[in-house]
Amino acid sequence: MKPEQIVEATLFASQTPLTASELARADESLSEQEVETAIGVLRERYEADGRAFQIYQLGDGYQLLTRPEFAPYLERFDSIPRPPHLSPAALESLAIIAYRQPIGRIEIEDVRGVSATSVLRTLLDWELIEVVGRGEGLGRPLLYGTTGQFLEHFGLKSLGDLPPVDELPVALGAPEAPPDGEAAVPTTPSEA
Amino acid sequence: MIASAAARPPDSPIGIGGESFVVELDRFQGPLDLLIHLIRSQDIDIFDIPIAHITRQFLQAIEGGLDRMPLERAGEFIEMSATLVRIKAQMLLPRPEKFEWEEDPRAELVRRLLEYEHFQDVVHVLQTAEAQRGRHMAKGYIEARPAPVIARPSLQVTLEELLQAAARIPEPLPPVSFRAPTATVTVGEKVSLLRRLIGKTKRVALDRLFKPWGTRAHAVAALLAALEMARQQVVRIEQTRPFSPIWLFASGRREGDAGPGEAASGAGTAIGEAAGERGGE
Repeated sequence: MKPEQIVEATLFASQTPLTASELARADESLSEQEVETAIGVLRERYEADGRAFQIYQLGDGYQLLTRPEFAPYLERFDSIPRPPHLSPAALESLAIIAYRQPIGRIEIEDVRGVSATSVLRTLLDWELIEVVGRGEGLGRPLLYGTTGQFLEHFGLKSLGDLPPVDELPVALGAPEAPPDGEAAVPTTPSEA
Repeated sequence: MIASAAARPPDSPIGIGGESFVVELDRFQGPLDLLIHLIRSQDIDIFDIPIAHITRQFLQAIEGGLDRMPLERAGEFIEMSATLVRIKAQMLLPRPEKFEWEEDPRAELVRRLLEYEHFQDVVHVLQTAEAQRGRHMAKGYIEARPAPVIARPSLQVTLEELLQAAARIPEPLPPVSFRAPTATVTVGEKVSLLRRLIGKTKRVALDRLFKPWGTRAHAVAALLAALEMARQQVVRIEQTRPFSPIWLFASGRREGDAGPGEAASGAGTAIGEAAGERGGE
């Protein structure tokens, strides 16, 4: 069997993303490097053949998923209740955690101006965030970070897929220098 | 105070004052969200927020809505109101000219608003990503048909295994007859027994009180008797270190004349006397 056939069979049978090392377990002769190569070969082949599916990277893992343009056809078969979308409040906290991790609850609440307790519980339940450590401050607060499930849920390869801060319409923090004159806002260099 | 400082006409495009606006308060994530909305919907320069104007609008917006909110959420809006009023008050104070830009009381608020807006943008990015991800279906998206329910034995065994299992079943035990001890043992009896023992030997190991009888009622009564006597300060209960034997001493006289062995034998004798009613073994 060729490596790409083994990888293809394994991905086809899997309902969750598999990492290269997990895929390599399919055969003793298969190295992670060969798995990566095989995935590249398969991806090109699917692309060239115009297949309705492709191998997508979600976090560390690879998964065989249909192409988005086929969603309308498949949705007709949609009998499974889909997981509900995250609420705006949950997304807000998640966005802050994604960019500022590791971060504690108090800092999240400072940005949002509202309590984050229940939202954090939701995100923990969804396994989109996890406790990654404890802060130095009073009471050694829990610090949160995003998980592999977070990348999977949003279809990201890594946190690098999120737009860098300066690409967003509003730059994080105050402007570099106060725009001309009296009404200007001071820069706050302490805010990273 | 609010009215006196309000130089701008209340030309809000969002219909402030009506109940409809109050209801819409639920739509906002929190005070920052509401402020951003007030500022952006009126094309206000975020770097030059007319604080008096915005403060009045903010207060009007949350007025009436607070009652319907959970206390914690209402508190968040009230806190922002206080911040706005404080900023407004600070702006009314004369400021030294040369430090003007450093001391704009609005600066911190503007920083927070911009930061909040930034993360709103990230929220949109995440929402888009979530929606896009939802358009990629994985294996299993179309639900598998429920597995047919096959009436098969859930456990399969060979005859040999069955016989082996049968062989492991122990012989039925001979019928055991229990005789409930009818005699009751009172704490009082044990107290007098203990008194006798202590009087004779000056000290008794606590476990020696339990061992000879073997029934629970006796052990409980003996323990209660010991505790009762300790409470009455007839005996002193001591233990040299955790889990070591517990000793009862005649109160006030630590040095017993007799050793524990003798105490035990004494106890044994006493039991012989007192335990004529002993049932069971």
